Amino acid sequence: MIIPVRARTALVIITMIAGIVACRHDALEDLVPSSAPGSVNVDPSTVPYATLSEYGLFQGALASLDPHPEVLPYDVITPLFSDYAKKARFVWMPSGSRASYAGDHEVLAFPERSVLIKTFYYDHVQPGDGRKILETRLLIRANGEWVSATYVWNAEQTEAYLDMTGSNVPITWMDEQDQMRNVTYRIPAGAECFTCHKQSGVTIPIGPKPRNLDRVFNYGEGDVGQLEKWVQHGYLEPGYPASIDRVTAWDDESEDLSDRVRSYLDMNCAHCHGEQRHCDYRPMRFAWELTADPVNLGLCVEPDEQILPFDAYIVSAGNVDKSMMHYRISSTEVSERMPLLGRTLVHQEAVDMIADWILQLSPPCN
Amino acid sequence: MNRCAPFFLLLAATALSSNATAQSTCATATPLQPGLFVVPDITGPDVPSPDCSLNNQLADHGEWYVYTATQDAQVTVSTDLPINSGIDTRIQVYTGTCGNLTCVAGDDDGGAGTLSFLQFAGEQGETYYIAFDDNWDADGFTAQLLLSPLSTSTIGFTTQNISATGSVYALVDMDFDQLDDIVAVSQTNINVLYQQPGGGFSSVNYPTTPADYPASWSLAAGDIDANGHMDLLYGGGSGVTFMKANNDGTGFDEVSFPNYVFSQRSNFVDINNDGHLDAFVCHDVAPNVYFLNDGNGNLTFHQGGLGDTQWGGNYGSIWIDYDNDHDIDLFIAKCGADPVNQLHRNNGDGTFTSVGPLVGLDQNVQTWSCAWADFDLDGDMDVLVGASSGQHKLMRNDGVMGFTDVTAGSGYDTFGATNIEHAAHDFDNDGYVDVFGGGEIIMQNVGNMTFNPVSVSIYNGAVGDMNDDGFLDVLNGNFMRVNNGNTNNYLKVITHGTVSNRNGIGARVEVISALGTQIRDVKSGDGFRYMSSITAHFGLGSDSAVDQVTVFWPSGIVNVVENPPINGTLEIIESVDTDVADLVAPPSLSVHPNPADDRLVVNGSGIASGNEVRIIDLDGRVVSTRRIQDGQVDISSLAGGTYFIEVFTPGSVLKQMFMKR
Repeated sequence: MIIPVRARTALVIITMIAGIVACRHDALEDLVPSSAPGSVNVDPSTVPYATLSEYGLFQGALASLDPHPEVLPYDVITPLFSDYAKKARFVWMPSGSRASYAGDHEVLAFPERSVLIKTFYYDHVQPGDGRKILETRLLIRANGEWVSATYVWNAEQTEAYLDMTGSNVPITWMDEQDQMRNVTYRIPAGAECFTCHKQSGVTIPIGPKPRNLDRVFNYGEGDVGQLEKWVQHGYLEPGYPASIDRVTAWDDESEDLSDRVRSYLDMNCAHCHGEQRHCDYRPMRFAWELTADPVNLGLCVEPDEQILPFDAYIVSAGNVDKSMMHYRISSTEVSERMPLLGRTLVHQEAVDMIADWILQLSPPCN
Repeated sequence: MNRCAPFFLLLAATALSSNATAQSTCATATPLQPGLFVVPDITGPDVPSPDCSLNNQLADHGEWYVYTATQDAQVTVSTDLPINSGIDTRIQVYTGTCGNLTCVAGDDDGGAGTLSFLQFAGEQGETYYIAFDDNWDADGFTAQLLLSPLSTSTIGFTTQNISATGSVYALVDMDFDQLDDIVAVSQTNINVLYQQPGGGFSSVNYPTTPADYPASWSLAAGDIDANGHMDLLYGGGSGVTFMKANNDGTGFDEVSFPNYVFSQRSNFVDINNDGHLDAFVCHDVAPNVYFLNDGNGNLTFHQGGLGDTQWGGNYGSIWIDYDNDHDIDLFIAKCGADPVNQLHRNNGDGTFTSVGPLVGLDQNVQTWSCAWADFDLDGDMDVLVGASSGQHKLMRNDGVMGFTDVTAGSGYDTFGATNIEHAAHDFDNDGYVDVFGGGEIIMQNVGNMTFNPVSVSIYNGAVGDMNDDGFLDVLNGNFMRVNNGNTNNYLKVITHGTVSNRNGIGARVEVISALGTQIRDVKSGDGFRYMSSITAHFGLGSDSAVDQVTVFWPSGIVNVVENPPINGTLEIIESVDTDVADLVAPPSLSVHPNPADDRLVVNGSGIASGNEVRIIDLDGRVVSTRRIQDGQVDISSLAGGTYFIEVFTPGSVLKQMFMKR
């Protein structure tokens, strides 16, 4: 028997207070590219601009990525894996100001109005077998903070437009082994950028640390020391240490395997698994200067979350199958893969390297 | 380590046992008796299949044994012996005939290190095939078969196989026939295994358009358009997709939103209490999002107001009524750089106030989900703050005094298994709600806010009743873990909303029997990832009758059913009958704003201008006596701090805590 009872006679129709939705909608078709020939244009009060060309960072056809004379290309020793996308990195600082050394493992102290520029592209894109530039990401030092901005290139490759909403781009390309490959390339939303580029809730760069920059680079006249070039160019205060505890090129097979692995994990994993980073609550600490202690790599450390149906260690010495690290970097399952962001494909060359490394570790964990 | 000692032990075990055998097959399986037995190097050509251990990997060889149960008993098969240290074993247990075997149990690393340990309920007369395989290691070892009495205090499950297409996520009644169904989803299909009256399932596959955002992180179910067919929410890694069931139940239509959402736990819940189900999704890296329903099942995207940490860290949302005011509040388990959990109190007027610190629920615990239930049967919802990393905290709801940390001595102080899933359900039907988290262990509530770990050799997953026997089962992928049950009684209550949302989500269900008053909040989405049954399930222990079932609907309507039959399902349809004299609803009082400045707005049953009000400080002193005017109380003369307010209405005294700025 059901006895209905009316407890409250008034049904209140309630409306929620709608939150403010922080999305940027740009009327792309209304914007006319307006580069300022001759000078780089970075105004902290108005960045990020609607288009990439407005900064004047490149000269000539934008897609040539021919840098303004003030803009310096650079590279890092071990890059982040981004679904096999190629990357072109540049840096600009206003004349009369320069970055200073703050430690081997610290991001250089960049002056106000500095711009870090990273362009993502694929070569041998099908059909046509040409280059396709997808996005250019800027980190701009404005009013003492880093402002992030993602510019998405148009199909004509004539302009890139500010877009922080995130999008997916299907790409088919011929890789360096002449294999046809497919990817749904992810151009990150602003919140995705921030997930990796943050510490204690503040936006930060990741790559430009002396330990990653202390390498040679060919500026057209043969290999020269990159940091030295920065000094010559007026971008770096002289007097940084002669000897830097630099990382190892992950793919240099002449180098020590353990150091190659540490370098790879530093660039691909430490931005989340570090203090005050997005996933700092897991026990790993992958930053280069911390992984000389293998416990920080997870060696014989049990993971908090056993996603395998058997007990794994984060790294199980000599046992690839029971190493959570190997499982996660080999997975394309969205909720299991590592890194969680920036990768949808398996970086097989790195997975193989880490498997080799695990196999030669001993003694076994139990 | 002394390598000689184990060798002698092995010899001793061999001498003690008649079970040693050469390489074997299922057909030539060696009969086992309880005791130790030596398994030789694993070279038998008959590969144990299927793999019951959930590794989803078949081995190359197997050694086969067979045990015929001479009595009903708990059977333990184990390699977890010190002499096996360093060996990596795997065990499979089957029923059926060779070549057509069905999993009963399986284990890989349930013992110390990489050794195995499993238990199952053996049925007198049943034949069990026990196989050890070489998936990891072909070395021989010593194993053990033990019998122990089955007891009602043991929670156990028996495995059955299903075949579903997609990721098996949900155990929920999809077609409103009172039976929980199994739901698996992929980017392009929804496979529903409809539970049939009398047992078994009927599988229907619904192809869908390719979901923009597959359900990588969570799945929720609810009938947003009240058409009698459940709709689904896919919590994806970069957005949210809804799959809306069409009106004749023949398919699903995709609605995907363009907004970037790094989805975590998702829920269906009527956030604005307009009678229509809305949806809520935790955002990992930005403020949480929600989707409001226009009443026709059309949803609009909103972000902000319900957990606004700029960089997110929102993992486990669960909608419960923590303050017994019969509106639904939001608790968010948080993780990451800002892991302070949040409690958002529903003010009853469509607004929410963050009150975690006020009520003592601002623990700094890295958690992906927290388990809410009235663990001590005192009439309010307690919470196990389940650690994903670090230490668990058990928090007792002490009403107006807020939440008290009662972890010490509760069993959770010594329980180290962390997990992203923590869900509260009564697995042994004793009326005390248990918690399923990590370690293949159910923390069995034994009363007095005390929990005992019971090893169940299954993983957490979607929880519901797959065979309509009143005992809660668990889904682990394509393995149904069917609760072995016991002699306890139960009652399942289905809330059929009419004025409120169709599923009655947000309703408080109260069951009174000899063992006390039990409460459940009807919800879509608990734990972290899975979608468990919406049906309110009550274990009754040995109680042979229920005095009364009460449903407090989100609409404010209250329905009471007296002396319902037990050991079955009671569907209560929300109904308004003004011929029946109004009964006094349970006292409830809400106040806002909180913290308040000069005036406190009071809402609640029976409140009217002129009601006497007492303001009491934390030392119990009455600091002010006033009367309600126009629904408000003047508190301008109070010093800043925390107070209780008591409102004297005809027949009851209502009490609530508030802060004065």
